Amino acid sequence: MQAMKEHADILKNRKRNAAAIVLLALAVVVLAFVCLFVGSSRMSAADCFAALAKKGSAAQTRIIWNIRIPRVLAAIVAGAGLSVAGLLMQTDLNNPMASPSTLGVSNAAVFGANLSIIAFAGGFLSTGNNLTNYTVGANPYATSLMAFLFSTLSILLILALCRLRAFQPGVVVLAGIAIGSIWTAATTILQFYATDVGLSAAVVWTFGDLGRATYKTDLIMAVVVLTGIGFFSLMSWKLNALLNGDSAAKSMGVHVDLLRFSTMLFASVITAVCVSFLGIIGFVGIICPHVIKRLLGQDHRVSIPASALSGSILLLLADTLSRSLGNGSALPVGAITSFLGAPFFLAIIFGRKGEHDGC
Amino acid sequence: MLNINDLHFRYGKRSPLVLDGVDLTLHDGEIGVVLGTNGSGKTTLFKNILGILRPESGSIRFDGEDLLKMKRSERARRIAYVPQSIHFGALSVFDTVLTGRVSYFGYKAGREDEEAVWRILRDMRLEHFAARNVEQLSGGERQKIAIARALAQEPRMLVFDEPTGNLDIANEQLILSEARRVAREKGIGILTSLHDFNQALELGDRFFFMKDGKIRHEGGRGIVTEDVIREIFDAEVRIVEIEGKKIVINGGGKT
Repeated sequence: MQAMKEHADILKNRKRNAAAIVLLALAVVVLAFVCLFVGSSRMSAADCFAALAKKGSAAQTRIIWNIRIPRVLAAIVAGAGLSVAGLLMQTDLNNPMASPSTLGVSNAAVFGANLSIIAFAGGFLSTGNNLTNYTVGANPYATSLMAFLFSTLSILLILALCRLRAFQPGVVVLAGIAIGSIWTAATTILQFYATDVGLSAAVVWTFGDLGRATYKTDLIMAVVVLTGIGFFSLMSWKLNALLNGDSAAKSMGVHVDLLRFSTMLFASVITAVCVSFLGIIGFVGIICPHVIKRLLGQDHRVSIPASALSGSILLLLADTLSRSLGNGSALPVGAITSFLGAPFFLAIIFGRKGEHDGC
Repeated sequence: MLNINDLHFRYGKRSPLVLDGVDLTLHDGEIGVVLGTNGSGKTTLFKNILGILRPESGSIRFDGEDLLKMKRSERARRIAYVPQSIHFGALSVFDTVLTGRVSYFGYKAGREDEEAVWRILRDMRLEHFAARNVEQLSGGERQKIAIARALAQEPRMLVFDEPTGNLDIANEQLILSEARRVAREKGIGILTSLHDFNQALELGDRFFFMKDGKIRHEGGRGIVTEDVIREIFDAEVRIVEIEGKKIVINGGGKT
């Protein structure tokens, strides 16, 4: 009798989790449309639908198809990617505060972009959604490419250092902080010698801004993020085993070092790609996984898709908010997520019941 | 049957040997208790057997097969682990135990894996916990879940590192009787470490006294003597017999 009740409860839990994922997916779709219809040009919903069907005025069609859709897609893809990357880093390092910024990935990207803009005058600048006000350097992707190269270099450096220490999670975080501050110092030196124009361009780049997204960058991000999510989903049970601690997971037959290396690498590449195209959008990888784990538990079969969807939701909301507050030109979305992130950070610190080791 | 021969291990190339030529044999269904001071190498020995650490030299064989050359998933189906400090994620009891089957299913749990988990939960009278979040359970219950998770690997042997370390007396008795039942009913060998001699005498069939990375004395209950305990632990005890049972009482320690 008891067994049947427990059986039913387990099925009920699974249905609840599936329903939560469906609801989150629906919320992403609804918010995507809201985001599409809100903007500084004050188009009515009817205008937006007309423009969406390419039946509106040329300007309105251009706003929807050339500005808003790439931006909405970027919010969905980058939100999902950054959130899942945070979740995976937290599982790998057994630390709820682990995120791309903890590991210095973002700092390295900032240095790469600064180097490109200040030293090589490369760049791809845009201020919000104002189409006329941007400059293109010799190669529009030069800055993104440099940001990507340096964040990847930083990741490889950390992973290499940690192989020497057999991947103790604490060591990874410390190595990340140390390497992150080296990049920050190097960025400061670069900025000290920069011209006024170079400096302002470099600073503007670091503001996380979805307005830079194009269909091409969205496609690149989508390929990387979807491949990553697919890989993580395949590894769900092995990641669940890792929640039991390194020793227990190894005794269950999981190749812990390989699992940690591969998932960290994937999570870092996702971050590097998103940051290099959009700038720094912090805390998505802390806020969303934290809420999802609280509400739906840590089972990676659920937390991976749910974190991804909630990341999309957060960026769509933050972007809509940033465009509503900006009075004509959108505030950087990275500033909004950082404002939201700090209270979560504090909530995690004060909400921790106790430390436990990961290996 | 587990057969360890001349096992050496050190943590770093220039560090001292933690295991310095360990020989140990344990038969199926037998409960072996490793006794030794803190830092004598018990946990390191267990982690070598489980493949968590790799020895410098020596052999570890199970039923004649070399455990050191075996695939991880194959080894996990022979020997399972109940660690000293137990961690779980925020999963249901059912899913936590199902995690133990990962060496069988790899990427996606099948119906037979779920049936195996129900069988184990029923067997250990844990069914009524199945849907509960494992993080909400008490120390003794969590320890039982850790045993269930290890049994989900359908192992031939269990390595049980200080099973009674953080438990109150009622839970201690519960876990020890569970360990005994598993060994007797399923014929699973158990290798464990305990600090309490009386618990060890109650549970064990064979005793291994370990000091400085070596097994110094090995044998049945008869090997647990005042002299051996003095030699290994540098502590004075008295052993008395009450109702045919050997009882170790603290003799006041070293003066």
